[in-house]
Amino acid sequence: MVSVKPSAHLTRLNSKDDYIAFREHAHRKWDALWNGDATLVSVGVGSSSIAKGALEVLEQAHQVAGDAIVREVSGNGAFWMEPWIEIKRPGVDPVVYGPLTVDDVAGVIAGTRDDLAVGVRGENPVGDIRPLTEIDFFKHQVPLLTRNAGVIEPDSIEDAIARGAYDGYFKVLFEISQEQAIAEVTTANVRGRGGGGFPAGIKWESGRKARNNPKFIVCNSHEGEPNVYKDRHLHECDPHRILEGIMIACIACGAERGYNYIGGEYPLGIRRFRKAVANAERLGLIGKNVLGTGKNVAIRVRTGGGAYVCGEASALMYSIMGVRGQPRTKPPRSVEEGLWKRPTVANNTETLANMPDIIVRGGEWYASLGTENSKGTKLMTMQGPSKLSGVVEVEMGVTMRHLLNDIYGGMREGYTFKGIQTGGASAGPITEDAFDLAIDFDSLGPLNGMLGSGGWVLFDEDVCAVDMARYLTAFSRYESCSKCVPCRLGNPALVEILDRIRFGRGSLEDLALIRRTSSHIIELSLCGLGQVAPVPLVAFLDTYEEEFRQHIVDGVCKCGVCPISAPSRETMLEEVAAD
Amino acid sequence: MVQPDHTHAPRPVPSPYTGRQEIDLDQVREMLSHFTYSDHEEAQELILSALQEINEHFGWVSHEAAEIVADHLGTSATRVFAILTFYADFRTTPRGHHHMLLCHGMSCYVMGSSKLVQKVRDEYGIGDGDTTPDGQLSVQVANFCLGVCDRSPVVKLDDEYYGHVNADDLTDLVNRAIEGREAMHASEVNHG
Repeated sequence: MVSVKPSAHLTRLNSKDDYIAFREHAHRKWDALWNGDATLVSVGVGSSSIAKGALEVLEQAHQVAGDAIVREVSGNGAFWMEPWIEIKRPGVDPVVYGPLTVDDVAGVIAGTRDDLAVGVRGENPVGDIRPLTEIDFFKHQVPLLTRNAGVIEPDSIEDAIARGAYDGYFKVLFEISQEQAIAEVTTANVRGRGGGGFPAGIKWESGRKARNNPKFIVCNSHEGEPNVYKDRHLHECDPHRILEGIMIACIACGAERGYNYIGGEYPLGIRRFRKAVANAERLGLIGKNVLGTGKNVAIRVRTGGGAYVCGEASALMYSIMGVRGQPRTKPPRSVEEGLWKRPTVANNTETLANMPDIIVRGGEWYASLGTENSKGTKLMTMQGPSKLSGVVEVEMGVTMRHLLNDIYGGMREGYTFKGIQTGGASAGPITEDAFDLAIDFDSLGPLNGMLGSGGWVLFDEDVCAVDMARYLTAFSRYESCSKCVPCRLGNPALVEILDRIRFGRGSLEDLALIRRTSSHIIELSLCGLGQVAPVPLVAFLDTYEEEFRQHIVDGVCKCGVCPISAPSRETMLEEVAAD
Repeated sequence: MVQPDHTHAPRPVPSPYTGRQEIDLDQVREMLSHFTYSDHEEAQELILSALQEINEHFGWVSHEAAEIVADHLGTSATRVFAILTFYADFRTTPRGHHHMLLCHGMSCYVMGSSKLVQKVRDEYGIGDGDTTPDGQLSVQVANFCLGVCDRSPVVKLDDEYYGHVNADDLTDLVNRAIEGREAMHASEVNHG
């Protein structure tokens, strides 16, 4: 196995006092770093910035830095300014420069390229450079989960501890009981971030009460949806937060082992998470007799192989157990009989990443954020032709108008708004009618939309509704695990009907047929994937029925996307003749 | 298919393509020796990771390699093959000399990746998971998201990402790759 080695200078801590001393050491080291005389050059390296050459920028920074200390931090979610470098000079707040190329690095470090400055990470302007928080993209964010993004070196457990990591774990180990920990989570009313929105406190309580031992915790970091990368971002920028969430869950539910099941799509996130685990093991935060408490916590990292259905809890557990990831019927629920037939509590990455703050600052504090039924913050992503792109963290209850226009800068020039696809491939599109609605787990439901995992896909007038509905249905067809009949045969049937329409051979009866077939799949499928597979299609049909009819009745795809709009041989010959 | 233009010099000599990227089974055994386990349950948990490492290293997993994995982890070759054929990341046939990951996530779809999928089909006659008959190019249409959405549509060819790719760029990129990596680096067309 590609083993990730722990940092060599770390040694095992055997008691509460050892840990407190180590934490103080980490704080001193951090303060000395940021208040010292050295210049710090931090390069934001994440999978999105690597694609734009961040590793070359990092390499160049090492070459030209001289006495300055070069740090490899993570991306900060602002894709539009990548690759970026942050320079901290003695006595002033750090300044972020980007987007830049390898050739700009020397100038930026030398301080001659202020034209590339984006802003100051801090409150005080540096010269003419204003704070980042005055930029719309950052101004409206509430960074809780992502507050270490671009700040700590993800590979350094000391950086993380200096910024408060493992304080929650320390608290559940030494200061509060299992019941108290779960009570905080219940008070916080934190709901599952994977899309389902099930209250985590209830899950944990039934996990704790399960009598069968050993028990397991599973962190679901499998993002198979074709539009989501928030968990990848979280793994890359702050793996310690996720790890701590799993460790807290282990202690609170009395589980001896936690799993993190990570999709294979993000090797960098996996590597950084493994490094965090290796370092925590080295320090004795994980292992037998943790910090002398007599408690055992083990963490295993397992990676997925690119099957969307493995995001479903029972399929995910089968995948960990080394078989095909096909869901099973319930009951028994996984909290009674999950991994290796043991009680298993499965939570989404983002849910678990909320736990450290909930434990440290209390459930009451957490419940003060967000809306009545959906507490806290939410990581969101916007894709498609928006001006800016990236991962943001906003309070629950934000409106789409605010998110799109203020944070993501609105539509790119030359594109006309048509709709926003919500909930990945599990819900439908929303239009401007829904723009002033406070977004939370429940509010978009009546409009066919869904918060889901917070991935929004903006699409413009050039995208044909029929073709996009086909794309989403074809995705579900491809990802169906083929276990149950309605999903295995129903989805291909829907794609076939849609293709008929796209090729200009549809009839109006096909629209009724789509609805009937869809309701069969929704009602009869075994798992969550099948039960929502036709939902996007039906929602597209509801919202853009006129366009479906145009294809069928007029034989026109006004976007010119579907095969129906391809010029016929006759018209092509006529055009040639006219030339 | 567009024939490579041989006027570029110097050009790295590609290793002769035998139609089959051999998997060095001794190396597989060496890789597997790092997969240690304490009980049968843990052994089963390691099957996927072991296959992933082999797939990552060689670009595919052969029958022979799968059998060695099964032996090492105390399971059957059938079980291992059931996994290989279920999960989309695995290939059971060799990759081409150049491997293209064509992002078809929702962001890239909205920005026109369907045209790229079609272009690859028209130009090279291959689709998701296929390799051209001369073994030069294989393609995977990614049903997930590469996470570089501000540059959609995105293509990853060998180790390089390219953003805002249109159908004409695509053949250009592939041809340059086939002609030799040096030429591609020099021009930086659409370097994502």
